[in-house]
Amino acid sequence: MNIALGTSLKIRSMIHMAAEPIPFFWPMRTFIHHNPLHGLEDMPFTEAVERGAKLFHGRTFLPRKVYQKYLAAGEINQFAVAAAIQDFVGNHERINGIALDKWLMSLLNEMELPFTLTNTLADAGDVHASLNSRDIRPVENMNLADLESFLCNKLLDCRPIYEAVDTLFGTDIGNELDELVIRTCLDFFDEGQSVWEMPERGRGLFAAWRCVAKRNLRFFLRGFHISRILEAADTPEGIIACVMQQLGIPEEQWIDYFTRELSRLHGWVGFIRWRSSARRYYWADQYPADLVDFMAIRLTLALALLNSRKLKRLAHTMNDLEETIHSNTIETYLRHELYGKTILPEMAFRVERAIQLGNKEKLEAVFYEYIAVKRNHEARHQAARFQELARLSGNQDALKRLSAEDISRLQNIIADFEKQEGMLWLHALESRAIGHLLNGLTPESGADGPEAGRPFAQAMFCIDTRSERIRRHLESVGDYQTFGIAGFFGVPVSFMPHGKGSETHLCPVIVTPKNLVLEITAAQYQDAAAITTLEKAIHELKESVLAPFVTVEAIGLLFGFDMVGKTLIPQTYNRWRRHLHEARPSTRLLLDKLSRRQADSVLRAVQRAVIEKAVEREFGIEPEKITDDITRDVRETALGRQHRADIFTRELGLNDEAAYAFIGRLQGAYRINRDFSHLQIEQLGRIGFTLDEQVTYVGTALRTIGLMKNFSRFVLLVGHGSTSENNPYESALDCGACGGNHGLVSGRVLAQMANKPQVRRALRRQHDIDIPDDTWFIPAFHNTTTDELHMHDLELIPPSHLVYIDRLRNGLVAASRLSAHERVPDLTPDENQETGPAKAFSLAQRNSMDWSQVRPEWGLSKNAYFVIGRRSLTKEFALHGRAFLHSYDYRTDPRRRLLENILTGPLVVGQWINMEHYFSVVDNERFGSGSKVNHNVAGRFGVMTGNISDLRTGLPSQTVLKDGLPYHEPIRLITVIEAPIEHARQAIEGVVAVKKLVHNGWLRMIVIDPDTRNASLYATERWHEIKLPIDESSSSEELFAL
Amino acid sequence: MMDIVTLLLAAVFLPLFPFSMVFNALFERLPHPVLRSVMLLVWPLIGIYLLQGERQLPPDWTVIWASATAILYGFRLIAIRDMGRWIGFLATSAWSLLWVSINAGMNGGWLYQFALGFSVPLVMLVIMATHIGARFGAAYTGLYGGLAATTPRLSGVLVFATLAATATPVFPAFFIMLHNIVSSAPEIVAAMLIAWLLWTWASARLLQGLIVGSKAGEAVQDIGKVLTWLYALLMAVLALSGLYLAGGRL
Repeated sequence: MNIALGTSLKIRSMIHMAAEPIPFFWPMRTFIHHNPLHGLEDMPFTEAVERGAKLFHGRTFLPRKVYQKYLAAGEINQFAVAAAIQDFVGNHERINGIALDKWLMSLLNEMELPFTLTNTLADAGDVHASLNSRDIRPVENMNLADLESFLCNKLLDCRPIYEAVDTLFGTDIGNELDELVIRTCLDFFDEGQSVWEMPERGRGLFAAWRCVAKRNLRFFLRGFHISRILEAADTPEGIIACVMQQLGIPEEQWIDYFTRELSRLHGWVGFIRWRSSARRYYWADQYPADLVDFMAIRLTLALALLNSRKLKRLAHTMNDLEETIHSNTIETYLRHELYGKTILPEMAFRVERAIQLGNKEKLEAVFYEYIAVKRNHEARHQAARFQELARLSGNQDALKRLSAEDISRLQNIIADFEKQEGMLWLHALESRAIGHLLNGLTPESGADGPEAGRPFAQAMFCIDTRSERIRRHLESVGDYQTFGIAGFFGVPVSFMPHGKGSETHLCPVIVTPKNLVLEITAAQYQDAAAITTLEKAIHELKESVLAPFVTVEAIGLLFGFDMVGKTLIPQTYNRWRRHLHEARPSTRLLLDKLSRRQADSVLRAVQRAVIEKAVEREFGIEPEKITDDITRDVRETALGRQHRADIFTRELGLNDEAAYAFIGRLQGAYRINRDFSHLQIEQLGRIGFTLDEQVTYVGTALRTIGLMKNFSRFVLLVGHGSTSENNPYESALDCGACGGNHGLVSGRVLAQMANKPQVRRALRRQHDIDIPDDTWFIPAFHNTTTDELHMHDLELIPPSHLVYIDRLRNGLVAASRLSAHERVPDLTPDENQETGPAKAFSLAQRNSMDWSQVRPEWGLSKNAYFVIGRRSLTKEFALHGRAFLHSYDYRTDPRRRLLENILTGPLVVGQWINMEHYFSVVDNERFGSGSKVNHNVAGRFGVMTGNISDLRTGLPSQTVLKDGLPYHEPIRLITVIEAPIEHARQAIEGVVAVKKLVHNGWLRMIVIDPDTRNASLYATERWHEIKLPIDESSSSEELFAL
Repeated sequence: MMDIVTLLLAAVFLPLFPFSMVFNALFERLPHPVLRSVMLLVWPLIGIYLLQGERQLPPDWTVIWASATAILYGFRLIAIRDMGRWIGFLATSAWSLLWVSINAGMNGGWLYQFALGFSVPLVMLVIMATHIGARFGAAYTGLYGGLAATTPRLSGVLVFATLAATATPVFPAFFIMLHNIVSSAPEIVAAMLIAWLLWTWASARLLQGLIVGSKAGEAVQDIGKVLTWLYALLMAVLALSGLYLAGGRL
């Protein structure tokens, strides 16, 4: 079947739309925190979580008993809960004798399980009868039409056909299909983990799979008619159309059907979505794939499974299923109950036997008995919930007096309340957190105060929550002033490290860097150290198919020593191992833009080096015999600027034929040709920044944080990252603003720019930023796992500054130790264990080297706040690593550009981080990635649970849970902007993405006016003014009302 | 030649297909745990008693028939979801292998001990099924699951009882199987190994359908600590008797 181009495009766009709710998944090497419901951010938070819960079959709020624990611990204000209940009760009709507020309060405070049960048969009359110990009236004539529509709704409502078949016949097609699709994905998307590659990968996912599937013996043995399905069309779109028609799915349902299909493996789908849209991603360029390919494979396999020998007699098209429901309603219902796992266990055996016998009369008899028993069961259970709640609220007598109608109304009201319960708890939790924050902040007037003295050092840290602690401690140990700025320091960089051929983007993922920075060294090229080579060889042996069998006895013991060392004495052993490796040479960054002449010169130098090597290799000539004339001659010929390489031919004594052949090889294999040279010149054009760009970046960074005068002698640019062993999630602990990489390079880039006299002169001239000549910018690295602070590029510091370096270093060490001392007790199993700063610092270092440590640090867990303002706002308030702190002085930003930049980048990244944590806590299995203990690395880009599963996308339980309970408090990001309300409001309205987040309730926005010292909170579609400070006991009540 | 009536009766009590249907039909209709336990303990003893009365060994073909019965019930065991029925089928499959012991010339007290070695763990399973039934309405796999999370003590005992019933070292059934294997012809050994494999597969499915999974629904109460210790003691006695069996007979 060949389909028209229009149809093909329609299918592509349908799949594109169907995949919208599924978030991107970036490779684990650069873990990007993201909102699992990012695709639903256009909807209000309340609606989106409801839709997300259905789509991903996940929970979007914590279970009630966890909120009850928060309540008991004072994390939720009782007043806030009471206010919410009063508000709810006020909007509902009263029921005689029932103190609804009491009932609802008891429900929230004392009942662990939901009150509302999913009753399918029992109605309020049955519950009423059960409450009054009366017999439930028997069912004489069940309305089969109702049952039929119930079944159609359950089984056919945009649900994959095989799911309906599984529910009716107890098959396991869905899981089997997922497994087959995952295996295909593992084969195709592998990024070097497998020894044997999938053939034909370069042709794309569907084409490669098609080749393999047609020859797959396993498929043949199992009776899959893959070839027959694939013969129907040549393109994936054609296959999709063909399968959907064969399954009998009406076209208007295709988008929803595709969404359901895609959401079954949302990790893989998110990865393919990201990959197909990623630019300059090597693996995607080499092996292209998109969701249309994925869908075509999935649907082909689904149809093959449904048509397989074993299952082909079962109903497996939409029409067949409709017919089955219509003609065998009773049997279908019983099957749905049994295989859909909703059956009463006590009846399961009898129902199963009746289905197996297939006798209509017997089925009917069992059916009527079953619905009677089930109805009774549901009524009894619901009645028990009524009685329990009445007892808890001391209202048992009133319950007895209720009529069946009252029961029905009460049941509906409580069901409605339970539907809103999650938002109620969330608001109550947030209002407590907002109250706590607002009372802790110390807004200062916007008027200029007296000029402060020059601090000993200033340090710019990332806004990351983990910087809050170390900043506080650094400020406490001496005359230090700190600032918060996004960890890429506002300079989006594509970085090529020394000795690597690939680029790393050091900026938030929503930004695409234009400029390339190269890391180069003056050190002479050295062969890899022996130990490095040995390690590489051993790893290659491990990865081969046969080698482990042969070598296990020979070198197995080596691994044994390694294991003992890593396990028993991780610190000592790892330090010893590091000594075995060659020290990394000192490097510089090439970040100045090359002129056309410089670029030509670089290209010429590279091409000459290549030609020399090629001549040496191809003709076995010693380097000293290859003169500059020869290389020039060859190069000019290869680039087509002359027809013959006479010097080359003559000097090497070659005939014309051999010379032509060599030139041809140079143009082909060695890519010394005109086209490639143009490309290389273009690439070289990406290197570095112009002087103007450098001035702009430095000026903007300094202006954003309000550092425009009073520079100290040292300005540290502190990037951050983490170090841990055996941890696929390591990059999740690195800098999110640097695209999940370490932030040191970004610090080095900005420092190198800011230390340039030309840049400083231009800053003085154009930006009114006067950096004194004795100010030196030093890049530094904050290791968040150990709390260590290391300065870099110290060899560049002017000699006049070296006398102060020891003092600076001591200050950093003290801050590190104090920060570890505050942080480590939370990480150790015994929280009460007394540890001094030195011991805590040592424990933190051990954590970073221990390969059995599943929780090297808490990372960004407990993040709750995002404060945009001057340091004075939070300086006196210990936020215990819960706040992103972005320095901002509205007085330096009259046109709100800087604030808009902060909102566009850092705030959006912060909100992603916050939502990732939120959903990973509320349902760690579905939105998080479960326990790390069962994780296995898949294809070098993701992790799976066990040997085969969907790609795990969220955070592992060890990052957000402690002893099975939330460590991270799941609330939406509470954002505070210190600025006049109109200034902040206009900035928010000016950034569409943030405006949407605020208006749709994905974050809580507060503006603190430094002059009036009042706060304004956005809620219920408008700004509400709150007077500061607020009364702690009633604050939540007041805030909740908003 | 052995009396045909005795042989037929023995085929009912040491179940051989199709006579095995008698036991399974009765077992299914007697849901009370005590009656089921008594039946599990006494039923094979009657069969052994009947055969002990005969001077001659049963004909050789009974061993083939018994092995085929063991495989048949082992195979059917895999698809069974109701735990009561599962126990009945496993009992049938295991007891049929007593014919192998009898034909290998074993007699007297050892044979009764062999029968009990198969039956006692099954009684433990009946008790476990009763506990599960009391909590969920029935012991039926694949419906609720997650027992390991909700009732860890009950799950622990259930796992050990299942292992004991499916002839895992060091429980008596393991040594009985070992004894049968060393004293049988290769083709019978192969059949017994197949049956053994099927039991293991079926037990894995049973446990997977009951104890694996996450907590769901209402909280259920676990068995008491004292009761757990009691069951643990019983399992320990079983294991010791297995070792005794190995020391005394193998």
